[in-house]
Amino acid sequence: MEKYREPETIIEMQNVGIRYDQGPEILSDIKLSLKKGSFHFLTGKSGAGKTSLLSMMYLQQRPSRGSISVFGKNINFTHRDGLAMLRRRIGVVFQDFRLLDHLSAFDNVALPLRVCGMDEREVRKRVTELLNWVELSRHMQDTTATLSGGEKQRIAIARAVINRPELLLADEPTGNVDNDIAPKLMKLFVELNKLGTTVVIATHSDKLINDFAYPQLHLQNRSLHIHYPSEISRLGGRHA
Amino acid sequence: MPRRVYTPRKQELPLKGDNTSIFLQVMISIAVFIFAITLSGVLSINSMLYNWNRSILGSLTVQIMPVNSANKEKAAAETLAYQEKAVEFLKTVDGIVKVTPLQDEQLKKLIQPWLGDGVNIDNLPMPRIIDIKLAPDADIDFAQVAQNLAQASPQASLDNHKLWLNKLIQFADGLKLIAMTILILVTGITSGAIFYTTQMSLGLHKNIIEILHIMGAKDTYVAQQYAKRMAFLGGSGGIIGLFFSFPVIFFIGSLARQIEGGIISEANLSFGDWLVVCSLPLFSLTISMTTAYYTVKKTLQKML
Ligand SMILES: Nc1ncnc2c1ncn2[C@@H]1O[C@H](COP(=O)(O)OP(=O)(O)OP(=O)(O)O)[C@@H](O)[C@H]1O
Ligand SMILES: [Mg+2]
Repeated sequence: MEKYREPETIIEMQNVGIRYDQGPEILSDIKLSLKKGSFHFLTGKSGAGKTSLLSMMYLQQRPSRGSISVFGKNINFTHRDGLAMLRRRIGVVFQDFRLLDHLSAFDNVALPLRVCGMDEREVRKRVTELLNWVELSRHMQDTTATLSGGEKQRIAIARAVINRPELLLADEPTGNVDNDIAPKLMKLFVELNKLGTTVVIATHSDKLINDFAYPQLHLQNRSLHIHYPSEISRLGGRHA
Repeated sequence: MPRRVYTPRKQELPLKGDNTSIFLQVMISIAVFIFAITLSGVLSINSMLYNWNRSILGSLTVQIMPVNSANKEKAAAETLAYQEKAVEFLKTVDGIVKVTPLQDEQLKKLIQPWLGDGVNIDNLPMPRIIDIKLAPDADIDFAQVAQNLAQASPQASLDNHKLWLNKLIQFADGLKLIAMTILILVTGITSGAIFYTTQMSLGLHKNIIEILHIMGAKDTYVAQQYAKRMAFLGGSGGIIGLFFSFPVIFFIGSLARQIEGGIISEANLSFGDWLVVCSLPLFSLTISMTTAYYTVKKTLQKML
């Protein structure tokens, strides 16, 4: 018999608080431990701090107090280049996409591969493949400024997953896409998760939450509560 | 069918569009222009100093003016006595290793060509000349020696030409110092400008850099894009500046040759000097590139 092993911790937060400038704390005393291979929704009202929590996970913001470990490394004791190496293992879909609008769709998706110096032939192969998959190969050479909101979102998602990240953080990734493409993108996240990627998806969509029986990280009154699917179903979810 | 046409990869940071580019390029070309002219000045002063030093060091002459008197025999004897006093004094001066009064025969040979064959030298009052050998490392204050010599022997005078050269050397040394200061200032101001415009540009492209960071780019990745761009601006600006400095350098050179006097004409640039001047664009390229690179590295340290 295989001995049970506690899964690796991908993200660990202890007493984390965050505030902007001298303002009030947006989040207080956040305690969180994300295990490898888990899948969570991140919910909460607009302004509850979902984006703020994610931005600490993808190492754009430092917490104003508490400590965060990513892939087992305490970020307070990690050198700049070390942080860059950690970020390479994380894929991010931003709520506002944050594409480089002077570049083509192709160059945007290629970005995570190029910053770590991948061979250009391999870059072309991978990016072309993925752009085909998200049905945007027609727009490969168009600058992203000329794309529609939904198209931009798919580019943003493609950029987040191109590097086969170990941790995928997505902020409202299905907000702007048509109803028929949203399930396809969710399927992509689920597939990645099955391959071992840890996933956190911030969303407002009750439909999404109800269609997939994943636990929720719920932000309310500056603190984090975890709801498990059984509870969710009791509270009115469709899946047990 | 998927398209197989790829447009060339664009740089993530749109540095080519920065309107500071043209400013920096013009600034660098002006800097190299001034640098090239000043540097060729320094180099020619150097070769001039080298030649002057060679002629002033090593040997020196003292002239004893002949005493005028109706009695030729007596006058010659008095002149000789003055020479004797001068020799005595010169032997006491530090840095002088050998004092040799010229013999009559040598004197005649020296003076005859100036007077022509028709004149009988024996009937003229003869100046005397003392040849002096200096120690190679002699550090002599010629003006002081000249003054002391005149006291010891009123008819004696130190070679004028060399005294004058000595003053010129001091003047040229001063010029060289000023020129060096200009070179340092020009380099400092230019790299300062590169420093500030790079910082400005980093602020301008903060959003892009933030995304690059989140995608996992190290600071070096950003720094290299800036270094590449500045290397181009530094190199091309340097070539432009050098190109425009050539006519000016040649013009100043021809002016110097017109002054003539055999002294300034020694201010020629050697082949090696030209090589140094012509490598200035390489210098401006290196300075621009490294300044940009380290500015980026240092500035980004403050970001997460
Ligand atoms: N850069 C910032 N500077 C100052 N305040 C900020 C900043 N970012 C967020 N905030 C504030 O922090 C709070 C939480 O914002 P956040 O973007 O994390 O919420 P959210 O849950 O993602 O909301 P939404 O669902 O609308 O995206 C808000 O009150 C917002 O005004
Ligand atoms: Mg948000």
